[in-house]
Amino acid sequence: MRRFRRQHLLGTTALIVAAIAALLLHRAFHRTLPDYAFVTGWILFAAMLVLAVYNARKKLPFLPLGNSESWLQIHIYLGFFTVLLFFIHLNFRLPRGWLDISLASLFALVAASGVAGLFLSRILPRRLSTRGGEVIHEQIAPLRHVLKTESEMIALGPAASSPAVAEFYTRRLAPFFAGPKNAWAHLFESRRPVHSLLAELEDLRRTGSEAERGALEKLADLVRRKDGLDYHRALQLTLKLWLFIHVPLTYALLIFTLAHIAIVFAFSGGAQ
Amino acid sequence: MPAIAAMLERPQRWDAAFSPEMDDAAVEALMATAPFRDMDAGKFPKRTPLRDILRNDTRIVNFRKGEIVVRQGDYGTSAFLILRGAARVVLRPDLPPSVLGRQARGKKNIFRALAQLWNGRRPPESFRCADLMPDSRIGARLEQERVRVFLQDVPRVLDQHRTEEMTAGDFFGEIAALSRMPRTSTVFADSEETALLEIRWQGLRDLMKFDDALKAHITRIYRERALASYLNATPIFRRLDKVQLGRVAEAVEFATFGDYDWSGDYKRLAQAGTVRPEREPVIVTEGDYPNGVVLLRAGFGRVSQKAGGGERTLNYIGAGQSFGLREIAHNWRKGANPVNFQYSLRAIGYAHVLVVPVPVMEEIVLPSVPASELPALIETADEGGPSAAPAQRAPREAVGAELLEFLTENRFFNGTATMMIDLDRCTRCDDCVRACASTHDNNPRFLRHGPVGGRVMVANACMHCADPVCMIGCPTGAIHRESFGGQVVINPATCIGCRTCFNNCPYDAIRMVEVRDETGEFMVDEEMKPILKATKCDLCVENAGGPACQRACPHGALTRINLNRLDALAGWLQK
Repeated sequence: MRRFRRQHLLGTTALIVAAIAALLLHRAFHRTLPDYAFVTGWILFAAMLVLAVYNARKKLPFLPLGNSESWLQIHIYLGFFTVLLFFIHLNFRLPRGWLDISLASLFALVAASGVAGLFLSRILPRRLSTRGGEVIHEQIAPLRHVLKTESEMIALGPAASSPAVAEFYTRRLAPFFAGPKNAWAHLFESRRPVHSLLAELEDLRRTGSEAERGALEKLADLVRRKDGLDYHRALQLTLKLWLFIHVPLTYALLIFTLAHIAIVFAFSGGAQ
Repeated sequence: MPAIAAMLERPQRWDAAFSPEMDDAAVEALMATAPFRDMDAGKFPKRTPLRDILRNDTRIVNFRKGEIVVRQGDYGTSAFLILRGAARVVLRPDLPPSVLGRQARGKKNIFRALAQLWNGRRPPESFRCADLMPDSRIGARLEQERVRVFLQDVPRVLDQHRTEEMTAGDFFGEIAALSRMPRTSTVFADSEETALLEIRWQGLRDLMKFDDALKAHITRIYRERALASYLNATPIFRRLDKVQLGRVAEAVEFATFGDYDWSGDYKRLAQAGTVRPEREPVIVTEGDYPNGVVLLRAGFGRVSQKAGGGERTLNYIGAGQSFGLREIAHNWRKGANPVNFQYSLRAIGYAHVLVVPVPVMEEIVLPSVPASELPALIETADEGGPSAAPAQRAPREAVGAELLEFLTENRFFNGTATMMIDLDRCTRCDDCVRACASTHDNNPRFLRHGPVGGRVMVANACMHCADPVCMIGCPTGAIHRESFGGQVVINPATCIGCRTCFNNCPYDAIRMVEVRDETGEFMVDEEMKPILKATKCDLCVENAGGPACQRACPHGALTRINLNRLDALAGWLQK
């Protein structure tokens, strides 16, 4: 069996077994065990700390702390299990009070962003390798600038002699080359914006002179290349940005959790 | 009608002579010196006369007492003949690594590993001055625009190490030059005026070809020093006793195909887009009668099969692998229905091969191999069998034809730790780059960018090549292997920033950096020029746990893989 499939099967099986065990234990003890909320709370907090410590592992690559791939697998499956622990800790009821509601909302957001990140990191890389060549994110802006300069030279430069092309460039292409475009369309794999632009170019080309046709073909090629860069930017930025939501929310969640623990101990003498 | 001047095509390899200083007088002086005076110039063909070989493929280099000529473990493509003076070869114990310009490295202990937490805040590529001081037992001077490293205390070396003197007329370095294997010993000059004739390998090859005495001399040395141990370590010969091995060694022929300067040539050809199998030197031609098993000792070979008007690559083989065993084993068992070579074998760049003749294989080797270990019989076309044997088809099928061609055309099979990224899994998070920077003075030693074949990218990182051309010509020994066949690393203390390795690397995996001191200021020399050092991936040789880049990849998209053989790659692609 291939490694990734075996890993997936093993993780899913372990998660299901752990979830069933946790639910059985909950059914058996949630009414009978004294300090039940205290126990589930500490287990939940420990699980959250293990999840959060993955980010610290990433910051210490020079220490022999195991490979990041294994850490991520643990992070994913423990993350799903932590959602169940969270509901067990809540005793499958809705939270009450502003702190608990905030805490639960933060937890939900962290979990949801994590699931979204998992989904994106499985879907987008495959799409990235199918279109636009391979480009480093930091190189996209300089490359876009090169395309912009090239297109300006073709349409408006000293060698350009067509007012129709210059007008079309100024009206339609200049804004397109000016910056990243169509991010949402790229994210949802829609090519309508670029097809529409290329169709307008083609209309102009059909009626143009020989020189205009040559210039418009070159511009169409630059439009396709710029669209490829935009595609990569949109997808690569999404792959980076979800972490900018997931990680800060995690820190906020940990702070709220500490506040929750402090308040529980301050006002309840320990969870009763 | 004007007479047309006779036009002769100048042999290509002599477009650039080894040294412009080899004039008529120098050549005549050599012709009066042994062993050249005893050679029959008439035996040399008109295209490669003896005098022209000496003029174009040799140069005279002078050394002073204590200066190191070759280092143990270095790669080189020249042999040396002592013309005047004396040289000493260090037998045992070996000179310490630091005396050879190398760095004795070990894995970091937990405290040194933890210290990186605060060291990571230092400016990129910054060193303490003490870190850049070479071993006090060696010195360096510039002579004839070449850096010479010398032993400060020769008597002490003689006292502590067993050495052997070599005098005028002695050869050394010929096996390493001919087989592209690492030098086995260190040699230093032992007189104030030691004059050596450095013969590049092409010249040595031709001298051997046309002078029987030199050929016999080198063949004898080769058989004595290099062959016995190699055959002993080759699996198919492991059941032979000493006498049988000796008989095999006596019968083995060796040859070098292609050009050792393949890296420069490859760069030029690749830029021109003219790398084609048909241009590569043929070692074995498909359809020829098998006359021996080819053992690849160094370099690489492309296994190909005719397809349409060209050739399609089925596999490539590297050092330690053989070619033709299946056909010869088949013919031995099914003499009535013999087969010819099923595929062609070509040298990619260069290949140093041993050929074990069929009679020796049939008489000595094959009877010692149990039937279960012999390769399967070949189903010939008239028996309804496939035209390509399963063993050769397998890599092409497992890796895919497109990727196989991509790896071969770009010579990536040279890498023993090639950084490959599966683009279908890589999220471009750059965790690998950050991990590398954190581990290496805040300066990542690779670019997460490079040629793409199918869904795989070969990133611009040192591949720790099986044939490390970067190691040829380092004047101080700063670039070296960590261990025999191990990682290629650079000692910053002895790197003089000469760019030799940087220019030699065919994959552009070495960078020249301006180093800083601990305060972040750039270090400069007496002329206020910045101090340059070569840097590259060292495969985190000092870090416990292996390469940080690979360990940092959360999605298992990045691996460091040995591409000398395709099994590992096939396994990784199918995981």
